[in-house]
Amino acid sequence: MRGFLKVALLSTACAALSFPAAAQTLKLGVLATLSGAGTAWGIAMQGAAELAAEDVNSKGGLEVGGKKYKVEVVAYDDHYKAADALTAFNRMVFDDNIKFVVGPLGSAPALALLPVSTENKVITMTMAFTPKALSADYKYSFRPVIPSDVFSDPQIKWVVQKLGAKRIGGLFPNDESGQQVGAANEAAYQAVGAKFVAKEFFERERVDFVPLLTRVLAQNIDAFELNGNAPQTAGLLVKQLRELGFKGPIIRTGGDATADILKVAGKEATENVYVHQPINTDAPAIQEYTRRFEAKYKMPLNAFSPFFYANVQMVFAAMQKAGTVTDSDKVREAMLGLKDFETVLGKVNWIGEAQWKSNQQLDAPFYVALLKGGAAQVVAKCTPKLCE
Amino acid sequence: MHGPRPPAIDQDEPRIAARRRWLPAAVIVTLLALALILPQLTTNQFYVHLANLMLLNSIFAISLGLIASVGQISLGHAAFVAAGAYISALAALSFKLPPLLGIVLAGLVTGLAAVALGKILLRLRGVYFVLVTFLAGQVFTLVALNWESVTHGANGLLGIPAISIFGFPLSTRLRFYYFALAAFILVITFVWALMRSQYGRAFRSIAENIRLAESSGIDVSHYQIVAFALGSGIAGAAGAATVHYIRFLSPDSFTFNDSIAYITMLVVGGRHTLIGGVLGAAFLTPLPELLRGFVGAQHIIYGAILLGVLLFIPNGLVSIGSSLWRKSSGTEEPK
Amino acid sequence: MDYSILLAQAVLNGLVIGAMYMLMAVGFTLVFGIMRVVNFAHGEFYMLGAFTGFFTYVYWEIPFVVCLIIAASTVGILGMLVERTLIQPFRADEMSGMIATLAISVIIQNGAVLLWGPVPRAMPDIVTGTLAIGPFNFPWSRLVVIAAAALIFACFWLFMQRTRLGRAMRAVAQDTETALIQGIRVNYIYPLAFGMSVALAALAGALMGPVFSVSPFVGATPMLKAFVVVILGGLGSVPGAVVGGLMLGMIESFTATAFGSLVSDILQLLLVILILLVRPAGLLGQREA
Repeated sequence: MRGFLKVALLSTACAALSFPAAAQTLKLGVLATLSGAGTAWGIAMQGAAELAAEDVNSKGGLEVGGKKYKVEVVAYDDHYKAADALTAFNRMVFDDNIKFVVGPLGSAPALALLPVSTENKVITMTMAFTPKALSADYKYSFRPVIPSDVFSDPQIKWVVQKLGAKRIGGLFPNDESGQQVGAANEAAYQAVGAKFVAKEFFERERVDFVPLLTRVLAQNIDAFELNGNAPQTAGLLVKQLRELGFKGPIIRTGGDATADILKVAGKEATENVYVHQPINTDAPAIQEYTRRFEAKYKMPLNAFSPFFYANVQMVFAAMQKAGTVTDSDKVREAMLGLKDFETVLGKVNWIGEAQWKSNQQLDAPFYVALLKGGAAQVVAKCTPKLCE
Repeated sequence: MHGPRPPAIDQDEPRIAARRRWLPAAVIVTLLALALILPQLTTNQFYVHLANLMLLNSIFAISLGLIASVGQISLGHAAFVAAGAYISALAALSFKLPPLLGIVLAGLVTGLAAVALGKILLRLRGVYFVLVTFLAGQVFTLVALNWESVTHGANGLLGIPAISIFGFPLSTRLRFYYFALAAFILVITFVWALMRSQYGRAFRSIAENIRLAESSGIDVSHYQIVAFALGSGIAGAAGAATVHYIRFLSPDSFTFNDSIAYITMLVVGGRHTLIGGVLGAAFLTPLPELLRGFVGAQHIIYGAILLGVLLFIPNGLVSIGSSLWRKSSGTEEPK
Repeated sequence: MDYSILLAQAVLNGLVIGAMYMLMAVGFTLVFGIMRVVNFAHGEFYMLGAFTGFFTYVYWEIPFVVCLIIAASTVGILGMLVERTLIQPFRADEMSGMIATLAISVIIQNGAVLLWGPVPRAMPDIVTGTLAIGPFNFPWSRLVVIAAAALIFACFWLFMQRTRLGRAMRAVAQDTETALIQGIRVNYIYPLAFGMSVALAALAGALMGPVFSVSPFVGATPMLKAFVVVILGGLGSVPGAVVGGLMLGMIESFTATAFGSLVSDILQLLLVILILLVRPAGLLGQREA
């Protein structure tokens, strides 16, 4: 109990100190993985919130209903664990009184805290690919990133037709993202007449894939699918595949991992690699964002970051439209009303009604890129229906 | 593993004996009253949530302390917690078993599993037992991850119901708090009574010198299995209670890192007393929350504090308490 | 691909992973044998070695052998300091010592994130190309790891067998009190042994850097594997760590090639549990007194 009292006293003291400013402050939460192997993703989300906050603060604050609010970002680490995410989220909701949260990152944390966010009307912007993250029951759950069950079909169709590949091999991490992306990928390949002839699952801690790759390559595959592997793992796979003498195309139909693939595998090994590219790296707005992000965080941009940045911009616009920074119901309505909203990603809309009975999935164009000379070159532009 | 013994309670000096009798009672009553009233005074649900976690962690640490009281340390304690959680969650989801019964079932099954496992594993002693519990814990996590048809693999179990007592759902943090408090008091009273019985005496003599205990006719393996089964059973039941509170379960929920966390609580609090695990849980559960502000450095500071406690309070937080106690009650250092 | 090539591949991979496990496990078991400390920070010293190797090789562009020496000596010295200040106070208390190493591990790993960021870095290969013998292709980068690991272990073994210091260490491992009576200054032996142990981990890290990649989180897996190897080989037994390391590497490689990863992981653990139950002291360990 002593510890409990200590927290109570300390937090009361903090609350008392910050009270005079609180009237003018708008708190924006970030709940992401800020320690351990997922940190790069977490910082991509934190950076998006902080850069968006920087934008409005440099103009003296966000003007809503005649008042100016200074945006303060509160970032908590969820250790990529459901229970820790829930504790941190409880703190955001009940102690910091935050109504708008960038996060959570993984599917398990996202699913664990959906009941709390729904009950307390907290708008979350998640990176979780799980189809269960969006539903009519979860009114406040938004997803700015395009999940694999949206991008797999068009992208795989395009790549398979271009390469004429029939026999596909792949290694899948044995976790929720692997199982999720794996299923979506397999269905998409089958739909266009290709087949997974070698499919292996592995534990997350594994670093040496050579035995498994040897097993996969023994099936004479035409192309290798990197699917939802963690960025570093994807890089290692490319490197080890090339070391084993595999010269065929490697395809990444999963979240953005281009920076890590290039870094880990190096220039030569990454020729003939097709990647899912959530953003158009040639667009000036994206290049400007990349410059800002990399200058501030001293690490390569993860392509998911601008999606959160765009979503936070939409939250701000919705607040101004609704004239409130506290009533998340009104902000939600206003945000869903934004059509062809101009963001760093280009014009964006909300979709998803047909698939999840929740129109809270961000819709933006995405791309297929080919790695060449250590850089990604966009070779096709996609919508959920078609790549060309 | 052999540190100073807990202060002996029964000493027969009449002058301080009276004071010794009412002081603990007064302290317990005050603490209990505070524990009952305090949550009513705060509207901040987050503190209630933290208090809930503290109570649950205390139970985990006490149950591990029970196993440690026969001189064994388990690096796979979280596997029993997870097993209990899965049993109750799956029973509730698939067979609509009321969570309260699920908790009892989880305690019984994990306890019995510990008896069976203990018969095999407890042939190993000291550090070898520690190692095999580590391996067993790893196997459990892998099985939970890969037995997808039952555990839903890495996707985890969703929509686990809250505990409900005669139709009254403990769905809020505050309601669960009183349930957790009751469970905590039940567990601590049970273990306290156990340690004062002939079992407790046997446990202590085994922990002190296993050979001596054996040669003086104590059935060492019997007592070790009893301690292992009771500790694991309590952990399993508490794991089940936790899962009906968090209401989400995946193989990641309780892993090797959690086993280590329970040991850390026990050691930091003071592993030779019942209250040590409680103090450790009460100190370490909210500690990360105090450090959240130092983004980036928070884990470093956490590590440094942990090291500091180990270095400067080698007998655990409980030793601060007992030295204060001695001062206030004016007694000499107990042997 | 026919079976002989698969087989040759599996053997080579087994040797590479086995060599890494061996270097990790030898240091891990050494510290346990001498100091009775389970060092949970062992993997972080592997990570520090990988980073030292990376920075010296990429930025200073010096021969890789020199990089290895720098990695071993800096991490070794750091290890001695850590032992002297943070681990020695827990000599009488295994459990607190274990948790202290855990705290050290948290501090080192998060310190590395703060200093070098979380993003993995690719280390360029030290040697490129493959060695072709008939139909078999062996990448030189992997052969070099095996050769270097063998050489490092040979040096270590000679040191332990032939030098005064090495003999003193073995004496302390066998019986601290007798060693004290014979005039061995245990207080010097402990930090030295710990430094040497983590220097071996650092060498493993620097060697594996080019094969895998370098990030603050690379230490976790080798650490867990070292743990398993040491259980397999027998706590405190150096020959056990060598046999156990190579064996685990081979088992992992063959079962993964033949049955896939999941079967391989569970099989490994069950096998080790079985061995432990039949021979509680591990393959080559001695029963605790």
